Amino acid sequence: MKVKKDLFSQSRILARASKHIRDVFDLWGYEEIFLPAVEEYSEQLRDGLKITYNNAFYLVKPDITSQIVVNLKNGEPRRLCYISEVLKDGINGRWQAGAEFIGGSDMQMVLEILSLIITLLERLGIENFYIDIGSIMVWENALKDVSEYREEVFLALKRRNFGVIEELDIPDQKKEELWYLFNFRGRKSPCNRLNEIVENLNDERVFIDFGTIRFYPYYEDIVFEVYSSNVGHPLGGGGSYRVGSMKACGFAMNLEVIAGLARLTDEDGRIILKGKSWSAYEQARKLVMEKKKVRVI
Amino acid sequence: MKTRFVIPEGRLKDPSIRLLKRLGVDVPLPSGRELVVETEDYIFFFAKPFDVPVYVEHGIDLGIAGSDVVEERNCDLFIPLELPFGRCRLSVIMPGDHVVKVEEMDGFRIATKYPNIASRYFAGKGLDVEIMKLHGTVELAPKTRIAEALVDIVDTGRTLRANGLVEVEKIMDVSAMLLVNRIAQKTRFTMINELVMRMKQLLKEGTS
Repeated sequence: MKVKKDLFSQSRILARASKHIRDVFDLWGYEEIFLPAVEEYSEQLRDGLKITYNNAFYLVKPDITSQIVVNLKNGEPRRLCYISEVLKDGINGRWQAGAEFIGGSDMQMVLEILSLIITLLERLGIENFYIDIGSIMVWENALKDVSEYREEVFLALKRRNFGVIEELDIPDQKKEELWYLFNFRGRKSPCNRLNEIVENLNDERVFIDFGTIRFYPYYEDIVFEVYSSNVGHPLGGGGSYRVGSMKACGFAMNLEVIAGLARLTDEDGRIILKGKSWSAYEQARKLVMEKKKVRVI
Repeated sequence: MKTRFVIPEGRLKDPSIRLLKRLGVDVPLPSGRELVVETEDYIFFFAKPFDVPVYVEHGIDLGIAGSDVVEERNCDLFIPLELPFGRCRLSVIMPGDHVVKVEEMDGFRIATKYPNIASRYFAGKGLDVEIMKLHGTVELAPKTRIAEALVDIVDTGRTLRANGLVEVEKIMDVSAMLLVNRIAQKTRFTMINELVMRMKQLLKEGTS
């Protein structure tokens, strides 16, 4: 993590938000996972800092979802959550809070993960946010008869530059179809799967946007991005993927961004214990055992 | 809510302002050392070309920057249009009396304002070079013998000739690009799409 001007006040902001986030994860029944900081290099792992040690390659703090994919090939359905730092672009760290639902049915996992995100943000006092849902399969299907141009079309999507598609040697009718997908954003689309998600979530802040694509190779179909008009960065995102023979859906939120947006009311009910003697600690121990918040001053 | 647009200082400033004017968007020139100018619908920021992508990535709605800068900064933003000005190329350059092929530059010291592009380019050719970041007047580096070659913009080639330098190999073509903040693209979907479409139509008609 980069050295902050005031590491301790930044840490306090992250810790305060993390406490609420962990509580929401727990309420939804997600089990916190603690992954190793260093993983043996694998092409499946994303991000992280590449290092060599004893003639072997390793990654320090890689992307958590890919780390789970590498480590958990098969097994029981799981609901996992984490708060961890991921290294991107070398030594630049980013704190993430995320969750993965592994081994459920497609619709159940997407609905639960998106519901979890909505409650998590609301718990942090963030009401002004949107979730845009897209589908990789919609694009794969649209590109079936022009699959030789898949790379160019995904580049156009990444840059949101339709000019790249206009220059391709494909029929005008296909260009029109891609143009429609490129610019579609609404709550009812030609994709029934996405319509069903939006209808079942029943939240005005959720939209279908075919232009929403996340460029991580493990995503198979549904992808989504969470954002707010109050901040220029995405708050987070995620999508559906596969772990061994099981399907999964997960998300990661940028902890520093959501902690910065959080509107948490001051904690109340903390019992302040004053005393000239150290006996205040005896009383504090009793109160803590009763799950009461204390501070000895 | 006003649209926030960052305009690059330097050689892209005037054509950017002209293009916006043709779209019916008047950009008032800042007086003195002002960096921000407001109109009824827009707030214009005037920034160093290298900083434009950073401002757009971090929340300014729109901006214009060269593709060299966009590539170097590698920011997370949308690039919906290539604009027909600021055209030049980014190249490997050497003193005219010590020219070698790029493939023979293993171990060379390369001076540049573009350390990320240069690193990727030489690494892509399997060459181990030392990249030296400079902030301007890169042409001095070979003259003062602190670097054997440089990576820089070539426009007309006059500066190179005046300094006894030659272009050895082109790395990329460069032109101005329209940049859009990823979140603004969603939260101001209609306004930005309309602006991009109008700009695109204007460029198609060749009236930029």
